Amino acid sequence: MSTDVKKSWLASRLPCPAKEAGSCAPMLERDAPYAATLPALITGAVLFLLASGLVLAVYYTPAHGFASIQFIARNVNSGWLIQGFHTTGVTMLFAAVYWLLFRDIYTGAYRAPGELVWLLRVKLFALLLLVGWLGYTLSDGAVSYWSLTDATNAATGLGGVAGVIGRWFFGGPNGAGTLARLEVFHAVLALAILCVLAAGRRAARALALQAKPSHPVSCHPYYTSQTFAAFSVFALIFAVLMFFAPHYGLNPLNAAASDSLIVPAVLSPPWYLSPVSAVASTFSSASGGIFGVIAMLAVLAALPWLDRSAPNSKRGLFYRLLTGLLLLDIIGLGLSASYPACTLSGGLTAAFTIWYFFHFLVLTPLVTALEAQ
Amino acid sequence: MADTSEHALGHDGDSRRDFLKILTVAAGVVGAGAVAWPFIDALGPDAEGTAAAHLIVNVSGIPENSAITVTWNGLPIYIRKLTPQQIADTQAVALTALVDPATFNSRVKPGYDSYVVVVGLNTGAPCALEGNNPSDPRGPFDGWISPCDGSVYDPLGRVRGGPAAKNLTIPTLKFINDAQIQFG
Repeated sequence: MSTDVKKSWLASRLPCPAKEAGSCAPMLERDAPYAATLPALITGAVLFLLASGLVLAVYYTPAHGFASIQFIARNVNSGWLIQGFHTTGVTMLFAAVYWLLFRDIYTGAYRAPGELVWLLRVKLFALLLLVGWLGYTLSDGAVSYWSLTDATNAATGLGGVAGVIGRWFFGGPNGAGTLARLEVFHAVLALAILCVLAAGRRAARALALQAKPSHPVSCHPYYTSQTFAAFSVFALIFAVLMFFAPHYGLNPLNAAASDSLIVPAVLSPPWYLSPVSAVASTFSSASGGIFGVIAMLAVLAALPWLDRSAPNSKRGLFYRLLTGLLLLDIIGLGLSASYPACTLSGGLTAAFTIWYFFHFLVLTPLVTALEAQ
Repeated sequence: MADTSEHALGHDGDSRRDFLKILTVAAGVVGAGAVAWPFIDALGPDAEGTAAAHLIVNVSGIPENSAITVTWNGLPIYIRKLTPQQIADTQAVALTALVDPATFNSRVKPGYDSYVVVVGLNTGAPCALEGNNPSDPRGPFDGWISPCDGSVYDPLGRVRGGPAAKNLTIPTLKFINDAQIQFG
């Protein structure tokens, strides 16, 4: 049987949709910035985390979470490396996602017709926060143990529907079976992230096909080589971080085993959860904290409708200044969550939180409407 | 003139581009391999597992006419030291008298005639055999007997009667020296 006959035999029974549509958009605008490769880098990072997570899941024992990670780092062949892949991979992934979201806010890429792509990116961010936190609790260190205990106590104590969901999710207070179920949720939601990524790529591709480029270039080799160049730099930063700063952004107290009778002095989460954790801590009650995080993500999702400027119009100077302030605000939120709770840091966290909501709910509609005139 | 130099330049550029392409792809393949290797390596057995799969047992302390039990790969392994009488008796048995014919030499390691190493599970109804201690019931052939179906074995682990029809399995092993054997 010749190859041609074989191909048509398979192709007639299993048509390949990517081949029919062309796996790469036919013609794209030239001179796209390197930051346009961020979605591809994020997809790569998620796949890398899935692969290293699968290997970790083979050896991870939820009943002895902390001890089994010690076992992975010391006894499993190259286990220290796989664990480093996973820890530093998360840092790279969140760095790329924060950058992507910030870039969209700065350039206004979320405006019509890009709303759906933006919504899917916010959804990706929300899922990543949840999966990232679940992975953090699986490390079963002194700090993450208390993060989990506080969360389970808060969630199981809630009234109404929220309490029912909380009790279903955690299966009661932090106990023998909690980490086992969280390991499953961690893995299943990681697969859900892949689905959100795939949907986002399809939506972005549909936009690219609609656009009429003024200086068209073909996707391959122009953008494939650009993606590979960006990927090389991304991988290089990853390698430097992994080998020279493997615990970057992690609370050193979490390197000790959990103890139900000792609460560590500083309960700061990993850097990528810090801003969200700071917003949650502004509210005194548990339900308030959950409301705060949901509201934080909701205003992000509502951004295409809060922005009053015309699609594709240029951003004004004042808006760009405000976006810079927002970046400082987010960094401030992250830093304020990394220090021991005191009156000053509590006041700063509240101020940063108020500014965050003020930026999106008041300043964005106001400034974009003014600058559109 | 300008045409030829341009052509030559283009040709030069092409071969340089080909070279760079090959270099990039080669570096990429090496990098991908270096990243893939830890994933493959991590799923293999660790040092403890490898050591357990190549268990070393000291047999010098086994008294004649008795056997010890060790666990290897989840199987009960019987290591028995034969008496000179048992060696002579089992060598004298005619192969035609056996259910599953096997010579004396095929049941022991050359040079270590007095040690018999077998998996101590009956080949009929599977259960652990009796007869390691001289005081245990051993059946008419002075070997092992199955408490489950009554199958009997001789000291070499060859089946001599009962529902079982196969000799006892000999695990993979080698003598490192006169005192130690290594499995796997």
